[in-house]
Amino acid sequence: MSMFARTTLDQQNRRVEWLVKTLFLMMTVLLIVPVVLIMGILIQRGAPVLSWGFLTEVPTNGMTAGGIFTALIGTVWIVTVALIASVPIGVAAAVYLSEYAPDNWLTRAINLAIINLAGVPSIVHALFGLGAFVVFFGFGRSILAASLTLAVMTLPIVIVATRESLQAVPHAFREACWNMGATRWQTIRKVVLPNSISGILTGVILEVSRTAGETAPIMFTGAAAFLPFLPQGVLDQTMAMSLHLYVVSTQVPDVPDALPFGVALVLISMVLVMNATSIAFRVYLRNKRKW
Amino acid sequence: MKRLFTILGLPLVLLACGGGEDRTIIQNTGSDTLLSVAQGWAEAYAMVEPTVAIAVSGGGSGTGISSMINGTVDIANASRGMRESEFEAARAQGLDPQEHIVGYDALAIFLHPDNPLTSISLEQLVGIYGENGTIESWAQLGIEVPGCGSDEIVRVSRQNNSGTYAYFREAVLGESEFKLGSRDMHGSKDVVDLVENTPCAIGYSGLAYATDHISMPCVSAGEGTPCVAPSVDTAIDGSYTIARPLFMYTAMPPEGGVKQYMDWILSDEGQCIIFDKGYAPVATVTCA
Repeated sequence: MSMFARTTLDQQNRRVEWLVKTLFLMMTVLLIVPVVLIMGILIQRGAPVLSWGFLTEVPTNGMTAGGIFTALIGTVWIVTVALIASVPIGVAAAVYLSEYAPDNWLTRAINLAIINLAGVPSIVHALFGLGAFVVFFGFGRSILAASLTLAVMTLPIVIVATRESLQAVPHAFREACWNMGATRWQTIRKVVLPNSISGILTGVILEVSRTAGETAPIMFTGAAAFLPFLPQGVLDQTMAMSLHLYVVSTQVPDVPDALPFGVALVLISMVLVMNATSIAFRVYLRNKRKW
Repeated sequence: MKRLFTILGLPLVLLACGGGEDRTIIQNTGSDTLLSVAQGWAEAYAMVEPTVAIAVSGGGSGTGISSMINGTVDIANASRGMRESEFEAARAQGLDPQEHIVGYDALAIFLHPDNPLTSISLEQLVGIYGENGTIESWAQLGIEVPGCGSDEIVRVSRQNNSGTYAYFREAVLGESEFKLGSRDMHGSKDVVDLVENTPCAIGYSGLAYATDHISMPCVSAGEGTPCVAPSVDTAIDGSYTIARPLFMYTAMPPEGGVKQYMDWILSDEGQCIIFDKGYAPVATVTCA
């Protein structure tokens, strides 16, 4: 009998190995099933209503006909204003936490606060936004109030993504820079930020997808179920894709069956295009990186 | 980097397309029952008065009234009257809330189309929905519902800030509480959708939400009174027992753009829109 013959123990190990691998593979497949089903059903049932007119016309006839133009532009407004508010704050906070903050109780408390902020349910953010921005600051129901509410909600995404990508820049880069006599800010500006821009962008675009899809935080703070016109400024109310989907699928009678699916398909396509852009950017910027 | 800013700047260019002449916005929030009518008015009013934009939102009568009290909306839609406590809260803010009846709504009882029940009395409804009610099965009403194997009555109701919920409790249950265990839906359309697909179910909502795939029994007020089918006509002449006024509230006596809009709603043009949506107008109108 050779030294390398299979013992029963070997055989048993191989069997367990195969079982575990198959089981885990099945779990992974299970993960994809809902995604494939959702996309399949949306495309199958929503595609018939899609047309250029669907994207460029306003809803008519009690929101049962026409298009989604006002909701589409409204979502662009809300997302843009939310980004303008949250990206500078989020990136600055992440830079401070990653590059300047000493490891003391204050920093740890801030970190804890960020984690907790990420865990707050969106309906709580909605009520916070209603109390703070709509009533207390007196912005009324407006794009500004809705976007600030979303900005508060999505800050943790930007902070965490930015901090992670800052920390992925090797420490030796910073030390090399400091040894040349550069200040901390010069190091951040010339070395750390350019090398982490792809990660920061990923965070921003993740935030965009989240912002575009949220319904609860905007329905109390600035999104209207119906508005006959486009907003003209940040203090106007607006329609939004996510709320429009909620309204046509639960509130309005006599909506053609395909319409809510069409709205959902456009919304999900917007988000998927954003995510794809994020990935493309990441790849492009990473290829330019020299390490 | 330059290309990056081009892409980030694109949404801003899109926003610039939104420009146009100056206009005022009237905030109109509240009852989900009134949402489709309010939306219809807003859509039509954009043609009448292009410088005024009516922003319509739902959320429930209670939401609308409290938003009006805290000053975030101009007109609150309600499918129930304002409560005394709400009037007090408004007066405490220095407001003088004004009630405007803008139409009437017959509250229909909905059944699955296979359900053979053709008439129901208020007493039976109390037995089904009321907290001390003892009617739990269709057999107790003397019928057998095809497709409903369990025979259990599935009660479909509304969330508790809904004006429809409040009106049903007041008009049918006589201020007693709802029995626990009902399916509480957010919106009349959800109620209809669920009852349409559930043989065991019973639900209630505004007549305007009825579809061709649902059955509506006639309702009698009690022994010996006639059983009346829900319709716009029976809501107008008052013979249908669970018909209610639909309200709009303003925080102050309306003036300016809000007054013009309220006047237009009560004009023939506005009243024909509410009639089109399946509600009864305030006065008889002749519509095209």
